[in-house]
Amino acid sequence: MADSDEDYIATDDEEIGAHNVGKGRHRGGAGGSSAAGRNGARSKNGNKSGGAQKRERWEDIKRSWDNVVEGEDGSLSSTVAGLLEAGKRKRLLKDTTPLQRGIIRHLILILDLSSAMMEKDFRPTRYLLSLRYACDFVREYFEQNPISQLGVLGMRDGLAVRVSDLSGNPVDHIEAIGKLRLDEGKGAPSLQNALEMSRAALFHAPSHGTREVVIVFGALLSSDPGDIHQTINHLVEDKIRVSVVGLSAQVAVCRELCKKTNAGDESVYGVALDDKHFRELLLDTTIPPVTRSARMSASSLLMMGFPSRMVEKTASLCACHSTLTKGGYLCSRCSTKVCALPMECPACGLTLILSTHLARSYHHLFPLKNWVEVPWKAASKSTHCYACQIPFPHPPTKPEELSAPAKTATGTSVSSRYACTICHNHFCIDCDVFCHETLYNCPACQSSVPKAKVSNGARGGGGDPMEVD
Amino acid sequence: MDTVDASAHYSQSIDEKPSLLVLILDTNPYAWSTLSPTLPLERALASILIFINAHLAFSHANRVAVIASHTKSARFLYPVPTAAAASATGGGGSKEEALRDANKYRQFRLVEDQVQASFAQLMKETTVDGLRDAKETMMAGALGLALAFVNRLARVDDAAGGGAKDGGGRGGGGGGGGAGAGGTAAGEVTSMNARILVISVSGDLAEQYVPVMNSIFAAQRKRIPIDICKVAGETVFLQQASDTTRGIFMQLEHPESLLQYLMMCFIPDNATRRHLIPPTQINVDFRAACFCHKNVVDIGFVCSICLSIFCTPPEGAICTTCNTKLDISALGNFGRKPAVVLTKKKRTKKLKPSKATSFSNEASATSTPGTPAS
Repeated sequence: MADSDEDYIATDDEEIGAHNVGKGRHRGGAGGSSAAGRNGARSKNGNKSGGAQKRERWEDIKRSWDNVVEGEDGSLSSTVAGLLEAGKRKRLLKDTTPLQRGIIRHLILILDLSSAMMEKDFRPTRYLLSLRYACDFVREYFEQNPISQLGVLGMRDGLAVRVSDLSGNPVDHIEAIGKLRLDEGKGAPSLQNALEMSRAALFHAPSHGTREVVIVFGALLSSDPGDIHQTINHLVEDKIRVSVVGLSAQVAVCRELCKKTNAGDESVYGVALDDKHFRELLLDTTIPPVTRSARMSASSLLMMGFPSRMVEKTASLCACHSTLTKGGYLCSRCSTKVCALPMECPACGLTLILSTHLARSYHHLFPLKNWVEVPWKAASKSTHCYACQIPFPHPPTKPEELSAPAKTATGTSVSSRYACTICHNHFCIDCDVFCHETLYNCPACQSSVPKAKVSNGARGGGGDPMEVD
Repeated sequence: MDTVDASAHYSQSIDEKPSLLVLILDTNPYAWSTLSPTLPLERALASILIFINAHLAFSHANRVAVIASHTKSARFLYPVPTAAAASATGGGGSKEEALRDANKYRQFRLVEDQVQASFAQLMKETTVDGLRDAKETMMAGALGLALAFVNRLARVDDAAGGGAKDGGGRGGGGGGGGAGAGGTAAGEVTSMNARILVISVSGDLAEQYVPVMNSIFAAQRKRIPIDICKVAGETVFLQQASDTTRGIFMQLEHPESLLQYLMMCFIPDNATRRHLIPPTQINVDFRAACFCHKNVVDIGFVCSICLSIFCTPPEGAICTTCNTKLDISALGNFGRKPAVVLTKKKRTKKLKPSKATSFSNEASATSTPGTPAS
């Protein structure tokens, strides 16, 4: 640990936050969240800014009351509504070019179970909140990545403890995390131990899948038995990506960890500002990561079984849990009965899935394109949202207002309309959010024939939709 | 059995919420013309209107929406925006009808008039020429519209309730109002029990597989059951829809008694269904068809990049969908002919080999795989 400290200080003046963190640890107090303030921003400019002077979040003072301006009628309602809409819109605008993603993932979730987690700055405590969000994470992870694997580790008393093994069954993980609830945070965390353990757990992950580690880190220190930098280098060699969600302040070693294991991309390190932000940061990691180079994941052909469901008159034992069930699925190779899918056949090791599991991942591969803001000039063609029938505001009568640019300063559409670039129909902001975050379809493209051959607005020919008989 | 005691009954009846029914009517003219001897479209529509009235009669707060999934387009029949509604019903005509039907519950009449008017409009726009090149129904679009509508109504009600009904547990702690949080949190429909009923007459379209599946998963996340009333045709997608979202699936044996089916099977809302045993289908077809030969496969090969399914490893190990060079070494010796290894003949013992002992040896060997061979 001592030598890792040297590296904190060595870099430059901007690392002052980390510098303080180091001091905080020497004082023996892990709860020094005041030491560095909260760097809530995921430092997006990380590698791009290069040598330019970079400003940290706490250097720019933002006053929330500066954003609020009284409307013409003297009330704040219109401004507040505008801010809400801007927030929604900001969340939506992400890159939608179809990228190759690691659909088959192997991920280890590392939870901090140290005494730093007993802080009460997140309600009820950091410990309980992170356990709750960990359960949400598990559910969301398997929703988004049905054919992936997950394991959970904990850091406590300077050791790494195994909470649940790498497996594809969400129920096991949620139960195991639920058991931690009775416990409480104790001792100091050890990043190195936890990383080494997850490295060992991911050792057997096949080359076509991704290897990832997500760390929820509440403490500002790590008490390690050896040199953590060596561990980081090993992680890079093993093609393991690490992302960290910090709960108190930015820690230099975490930043370095993320940067090195993600090919210089620091955006996977975020420090939570509040509980909502914490949840967002954690659940963001459920989206399959982009494959950066061919080296990262080998493509291969996997043999999979597609069993059909059967119903029995009498109950029989399933091979996976040894419980009596009426009905289940028979392995298509060895006819072993399993009670739930997806699963690896306990007898012959064949991956058993349903075609619907594959279909769940398609929206990552064929994302829905972002919708564009509509200027007032083009707004007259619609009076209501195509999807939910909510009425739109009428276009203004003054010509100077009509020629205003489509995009307002906050990023929202001046006419409250958003248009699909394929079918040119107009939607409201709520439908925009819903279609991009939940539905992954454009309802208008799907309900008109002309160009409907392009099934998702982004799907460039060639790709045959999956058929089910 | 322990759920049937009296206390449970009372506690559950308290949280009674109004329910929203989104009815998707498949109006594919081809399918309805083949059905016309048993169930003409007008009669079906009349039955559906009675069903909708029954739904509305349960509670004054119940809401309904009707969507037509036509060839070439999917659109709302009810509610429609006010400007379009005025033109469809013929402007001032509505006032006279109001006088004529003074004895009818206003809500019934509004819905009936609107649905009939927009339905007539839809039929007027359907031309023989337009039907020539379009035989499928726009089910994916209709489901998308339905889900967006449900999403909006849930949101409106959230705002009205001051975000107080944000449901314990998942709402995201003390975060800001319900409307803002609803987006990222896997938003449940809190204030209204929404359900989608599809009256389906035609089969499904392979091209719509991905969008239909996306809609199904969206419904599942929002906990909206999709009920299927299958009047005719074969549809695997919709079977999977009702199975995934825990909706009702009903294949009508006698289409002419549509109303009775609707009233008996589809009227209970989500809360009531907990006390009933609704009809579902037992066998759902989950088998996949390969992309290369459209064969139904039990064991297939899946490209790890784009998840296409093949029945045999593709030619030259290049995925036909995403053109990726695939590594098939992991498959090992799959497809190779089994080689027969010649072994020396065991020297059989002169002693009589009794079958019983050999069996027991085997049994002991297999039952304890963990023990080291000694």
